[in-house]
Amino acid sequence: MGNIACFVERYNFTDPREVGALQNFKLTAEGMGHRFNFVFRENLAELPKHDAVFIRATTDPLYTAYVVSKTAWELGLKVVDDPKSIQVCGNKVHLYELFKRHDVPHIPTIFLNKDEFHHKKILEIFNAFGRPVVLKAPYTSFSRYVEKVACETSFREVAKRFFRRSDILVVQKFMPTAFDWRVGVLNNEVLYVCKYMVPKGRWKHGVKRRGKPTFVWGRTVSLKRENAPEKLKETALKACALIGNGLYGVDIKEFDGNFVVVEVNDNPSIYAGYEDLRNKDIYSKIIAYLTN
Amino acid sequence: MLVVSNIDLALETPIMKPSAFLESSIKDFTLNINNDYRYLKTGYYVSLHAEVLGNRVIPSTENIVDAYRTPILLLRASKAGITTMPFVVTDSAKQIMSNFDFPTVIFAVNPFSFEGFRIAKNRSSLYKAVKSLSMNYKFAVCAQPLLGEIISFKSIFGRCEVKEQAQKIAEEVYNIFRIPLCKLHVQLAGERAFLSGLQQIRKDELTQLDLQLLRREVSRLLRDGERLVG
Repeated sequence: MGNIACFVERYNFTDPREVGALQNFKLTAEGMGHRFNFVFRENLAELPKHDAVFIRATTDPLYTAYVVSKTAWELGLKVVDDPKSIQVCGNKVHLYELFKRHDVPHIPTIFLNKDEFHHKKILEIFNAFGRPVVLKAPYTSFSRYVEKVACETSFREVAKRFFRRSDILVVQKFMPTAFDWRVGVLNNEVLYVCKYMVPKGRWKHGVKRRGKPTFVWGRTVSLKRENAPEKLKETALKACALIGNGLYGVDIKEFDGNFVVVEVNDNPSIYAGYEDLRNKDIYSKIIAYLTN
Repeated sequence: MLVVSNIDLALETPIMKPSAFLESSIKDFTLNINNDYRYLKTGYYVSLHAEVLGNRVIPSTENIVDAYRTPILLLRASKAGITTMPFVVTDSAKQIMSNFDFPTVIFAVNPFSFEGFRIAKNRSSLYKAVKSLSMNYKFAVCAQPLLGEIISFKSIFGRCEVKEQAQKIAEEVYNIFRIPLCKLHVQLAGERAFLSGLQQIRKDELTQLDLQLLRREVSRLLRDGERLVG
């Protein structure tokens, strides 16, 4: 019998779909004969009492979740997401450097250094990628800090904002599609496949409402993993192999039967009735991975 | 060995600027000299680029991320035998008070605040420190008991000019994390020294003596090869 700590923050219990998924994890683990305890940041001293740690709070090398992951790793516990995955996936510059180096098909990307943030460079970027282009802060998650810019003024305004935290930004070609594929991968195997639809009149799956703090999200269409295109699954597995063998959500765009990786996310969203709709075994597979 | 530095080392050997290195594909053992290695800063990206190219690099990105996160710094340091104080990671002042008596020393564990630490001598200053460093309780803080005084000093390749016990800690921290330039916070209590935290150095804090020491260390590494840096 294993003893699993699930590290969560209070915000993980605000969305009923996420609460449903967390309950499913707990019920599945207990059904398999394991203990499954939610651990909040007030109870981190309890981590060593567990055999494995499953992180559901948002990860980033600068967040508490990294401290939890690295602590568990140093204690020799099994941990999802492991610190290396958080470090690589949490920084899009790291991710695209790896994709470039290892020939993983990805959206045309260049890096913009703070030192070369000037008129000539911006023009070069527009000439290379056309207008608009997508500016991405390396620490983006949940579609935040990703903005489309079509003129030098807005390019400067957005880049200046993103440069406050990072000395390098990601600039990508704008490649609109009706949906992004999301392939869930665990231990180098495909766990689930979904289509993250883009809301009508928008260009990404999650878009902030104008003047409000809330987001509009597109629909999620779930597929049985065996029905997803083979080439899609191969591309996702190739991208994940560069990072590790943990749990990842790979975003992929499809153009004329070709698949290009948008990004690999550690700590992918798992909502009850969405990612798990056609692949009910994702809970048991993750629990088995944590306890084996 | 390739030296990439944002500090003018005035050496005869060519030194590469970080911006030039980030555009290059040079494959060589890389020594990354920077006053600021924090995550998402240029010093970090130089090490990242070197690693992606397959180069051995000092410091590694893993060590950078760990050394600048106080709880991980203390955890790895204590595992390696460096004396550290017990600590708690929390956003609750109440929990800190239930673990330690006053005064306590508080470090931020959030993505925005990087500057040093706060000392809380009583309940109200603790609440203020936790509220501020946790950014209104959104992030956690790392609290340690304060049994003596905290001294902060520059460590250049593990060398520094402070009391013997603290000097030993600087050497040991360098041996574990290999951060060539940083500022260390060490607690002195009686005859003992305890590692408390690590942060970046501002360029204007580097004196002529520091630069001389830095030059000497880099020259020694260039002369004696990679074996000295492991």
